[in-house]
Amino acid sequence: MIHSVWFLAVEAAEEASGGLFDLDATLPLMAVQFVLLAVILNALFYKPLGNAIDERDGYIRSNKVDAAERLAKAEQIAKAYQQELAETRRQSQAVIAAAQEEAQKLAAQSIAEAQQEAQAQREQVQRELDEQKRQAMATLEQQVDGLSRQILDKLLSAAS
Amino acid sequence: MALGMVMFYPSTLAELEVGQHLYWQVGNLKLHGQVFLTSWFVIGLLVLVSVLATRNVQRVPSGLQNLMEYALEFIRDLAKNQIGEKEYRPWVPFVGTLFLFIFVSNWSGALVPWKLIHLPSGELAAPTNDINTTVALALLTSLAYFYAGFSNRGLGYFAKYIEPTPILLPINILEDFTKPLSLSFRLFGNILADELVVAVLVLLVPLFVPLPVMILGLFTSAIQALIFATLAAAYIGEAIEGHGGEEHE
Repeated sequence: MIHSVWFLAVEAAEEASGGLFDLDATLPLMAVQFVLLAVILNALFYKPLGNAIDERDGYIRSNKVDAAERLAKAEQIAKAYQQELAETRRQSQAVIAAAQEEAQKLAAQSIAEAQQEAQAQREQVQRELDEQKRQAMATLEQQVDGLSRQILDKLLSAAS
Repeated sequence: MALGMVMFYPSTLAELEVGQHLYWQVGNLKLHGQVFLTSWFVIGLLVLVSVLATRNVQRVPSGLQNLMEYALEFIRDLAKNQIGEKEYRPWVPFVGTLFLFIFVSNWSGALVPWKLIHLPSGELAAPTNDINTTVALALLTSLAYFYAGFSNRGLGYFAKYIEPTPILLPINILEDFTKPLSLSFRLFGNILADELVVAVLVLLVPLFVPLPVMILGLFTSAIQALIFATLAAAYIGEAIEGHGGEEHE
């Protein structure tokens, strides 16, 4: 057994066409085979999967663009809404301001009216008072006149 | 028992069967049968996986489609980086097939227990540990970059031989020979050496000890596939761009 293996090994080594660097028809056939493999894989693997990858890229890109567009639109809408909100707020403030002003005006007016009325009343009362005072003074003067005449009469009668 | 024999008779390291081939005679051509057998396995595997992955292409990939799309993206990136955004697309099948074929070949050599199948002569191993395969791939790469150069720049492609100065003409011409030579021998040497190291270690210590080397071999195999594909793409890119010189090792 050992001998037979030994013998085979020797025989193989002695074979003229053996060896590590034995170039023969394997080379061109392998090249042809490889080119065939490249062609087959191109049809079976690179093309379909490459198309799938490219298509997916396109799909993602278009989706992204779409999403970006939608985002822009949403932002625009939000901005418009903000503007509207600000506008409304300003309007409401204007309304409030106007109402306040009007209320103030009304209040001022009524205060003025009330003051005027009070003034008028006071003036009337004053006038009445004055009248009464005058009357009282007149009465007083008459009495003074009467009294002075009596005193005069008394004095005159006493003197005579 | 076979192991014992080899240990006792170091000269029968031919047991590793370096340089032995299963010869097929077709007409008056001689073929290395074991290389074709494993390469058919590799090709069949690639085609099968491609068919399975693209049988039902979904927009949201899953399973095998996902894996193969990852592989394709990887190959595209590789080609894009070396050839450039504008020109890389037609070269993806070539560079990608180089990468996939070499990668699957190398890993099949390391992972599939070929030795369980006995051949009358020679033994099954990675197709890339036969010089014919690597030279074929390297020559195809040479053809590819010549084609790329001529189709993109016409006869102006020859101008690259006297760039940057005509003094470099001999070196530039030499480069066209060293490129396929280095490509083929790098791959061939790495894969063969790796398999030899593993085989020798297995012969000496059959248990556990060869494991780290095997894992290293897997790593090297993947790197070699990447290097081959990257260099091929770089040569093609160089031929298209027309900036001579620069060797990407």
